[in-house]
Amino acid sequence: MHTCKVPPLPKLRLYRINTGSCNGCDVELAATEAITRFGLDRLGLSFTADPTQADLVLITGPLTVSSREKVLAEYAEVPDPKITVLIGVCPISGGAFRDSYAVVAPLDEFVPVDLNIPGCPPRPQAIVAGIAKAVQLWRGGEHPPVSPGPEEGSLTENLRGRMRYRAEACVGCRICQHVCAGGAIRFDEEEAGLGFTLWHNSCLFCGMCSHYCPTGALAPTREWDLAHRQAEKYRQVEKGVVPRIPCSACGVPMLPVVPELMKKGYRALSAETARLQTLCSECRQVRSLEGVKRCTT
Amino acid sequence: MSRTVITLGPRQLGLEEPMYFRVQTAGDRVAGLEVLAGQVHRGLEHLTLKRNFYQNITLLERLCSLCSNSHPSTFCTALEELAGMVVPPRAEYLRAVADEIKRIASHLFNCAVVAHIVGEHALFRRVMELRETVQQTKEAIYGNRMDLAANCIGGVRYDLDAGRVGYLKSQLEGLKAPLEELYRVFADDPALAAATVGVGVLTREQAQAFGVVGPVARAAGIDYDVREKSPYGAYDRLSFQVAVQAAGDVRARALVRLVEARQAVSLIEQCLDQLPEGPVALMSFPEIPAGEVIAKSEAPRGELIYYLRTDGTDLPVRLKWRVPSYPNWAALGEMLKGEPVSRIPLIVNSIDPCISCTDR
Ligand code: SF4
Ligand code: SF4
Repeated sequence: MHTCKVPPLPKLRLYRINTGSCNGCDVELAATEAITRFGLDRLGLSFTADPTQADLVLITGPLTVSSREKVLAEYAEVPDPKITVLIGVCPISGGAFRDSYAVVAPLDEFVPVDLNIPGCPPRPQAIVAGIAKAVQLWRGGEHPPVSPGPEEGSLTENLRGRMRYRAEACVGCRICQHVCAGGAIRFDEEEAGLGFTLWHNSCLFCGMCSHYCPTGALAPTREWDLAHRQAEKYRQVEKGVVPRIPCSACGVPMLPVVPELMKKGYRALSAETARLQTLCSECRQVRSLEGVKRCTT
Repeated sequence: MSRTVITLGPRQLGLEEPMYFRVQTAGDRVAGLEVLAGQVHRGLEHLTLKRNFYQNITLLERLCSLCSNSHPSTFCTALEELAGMVVPPRAEYLRAVADEIKRIASHLFNCAVVAHIVGEHALFRRVMELRETVQQTKEAIYGNRMDLAANCIGGVRYDLDAGRVGYLKSQLEGLKAPLEELYRVFADDPALAAATVGVGVLTREQAQAFGVVGPVARAAGIDYDVREKSPYGAYDRLSFQVAVQAAGDVRARALVRLVEARQAVSLIEQCLDQLPEGPVALMSFPEIPAGEVIAKSEAPRGELIYYLRTDGTDLPVRLKWRVPSYPNWAALGEMLKGEPVSRIPLIVNSIDPCISCTDR
């Protein structure tokens, strides 16, 4: 039997820097620290107010022009090697504040980043899960298990986590892109059809896109543990292509009219509506006019 | 007496947000104060002009996360006024529910911070635990613990079915006794009283002269609450008594917040009991004509004013705020004058300052 005692690992010390946040991530960090249930303690961590004593740096907020010098000086005080963790999409991409004259984002242009925890703000469970991954990076090997405690299914039923896109329900109306404050959504005209991309590191998890989406092609999932290594930063995307099909009358490539939209437009789906679905808008018009003619003569 | 000037940062001030003070001292007392603001300036006024109304709803929710619901709901109210939209009654009630639930969480966070600063760590944890009930409730109903995403132009983006109403009611029930108890602790506990009574006083006259708002004003005897003076949304159908204290000190401010947290519970219950049937929002994409409008509301920190000018497109031409923390910051000099330097963090936090609102 293995009896020798393993000496406990020294506690890792966390240092927090707020570069100009809306205070959402900071208030959630304070809750994460205060509420033992979230399990930060079990990771063998403690917070320090002294940057020179820290091993891990947690950064919140978009880097503002006016805080930049102070923040970078403070960051430099933390001795190397250190692990840098970005909390919330603000430091990761600029979040809601991207392309302002007063914000210099993303933060990885200024400091070497190890881990990103997306969210706006991420829930404490996501913060802890992310920090656990950072601890693993620091110590090597497996990170200690984190269990944020049991969660009742009904309590997280509405959780706004990672957004999911279903190309088969998309009509390409681009309303999601129009209402998205994060600039997270992009459409590209591609050979195969209309390309859709959503960047989880720019997303503010506001659900505005799914609210205005006429067909339910976009919807929030309950997936909240989105922490990832810096190397994975630009792979955090949701992609899809709406393929173009030829119009059944004239052959022009067109975006298919999805059943979700047909159900909205017509009281009952019939063979006639199914035929309309395969027509481009011009042929549809022609056909409708013929219909009118038939009726009036 | 030795006179010096010291600079205090967020860590010394016990603030979650970066803010710096230059303090003139005479001995160990505060003689003068200069607030060095701007660290959290994100160019919000400029950004809002580059974003359309829909994007601005989400952006404004991130102007400050502690009053995050007050911003989009006041902004939507301004747009609805311009468009001549009459928001469905059910939506008015649901907006009030969202506002009040945020008020409880905001006030409790401040109480926790005050407890922490005076060294009552067990109390700090207790308040944070109590606040967790509110955080969980918000997450269960709205999908996020801070940013509710409750508002849209013409109403709200969420509804409460019978199951959720029941859940919300039982969560509220669970808050009542602990909130009562917390009030008694802040009112009667000798150690807390020693640390907070007669500390950081702002007299009624000073409060008036500085035009302070919210719990800071009401703690100095000023009977002003937008929800009561110029009711908006559902507030003209809800009843509550404006929470007023006379002492104008740190304790009075905490007591006002605790009374308001209890009242918020009752206000939400009234909303749930009166909740009218019907739609939760009007049509999705209303036309917003050219015009100019002011909308205001009682945010957790006090009167929040929105000025909006539009030109018929879906981008604002001008959007400006008078946030509650702004006048309250200015009065801080009065509250700190002659106080020991060691009390600065407590007094600063007793006005529950919001830096992201003020610096924006
Ligand atoms: S990520 Fe969201 S919650 Fe966090 S600081 Fe930025 S805007 Fe606030
Ligand atoms: S939830 Fe949708 S609208 Fe909101 S930021 Fe993310 S992609 Fe944009």
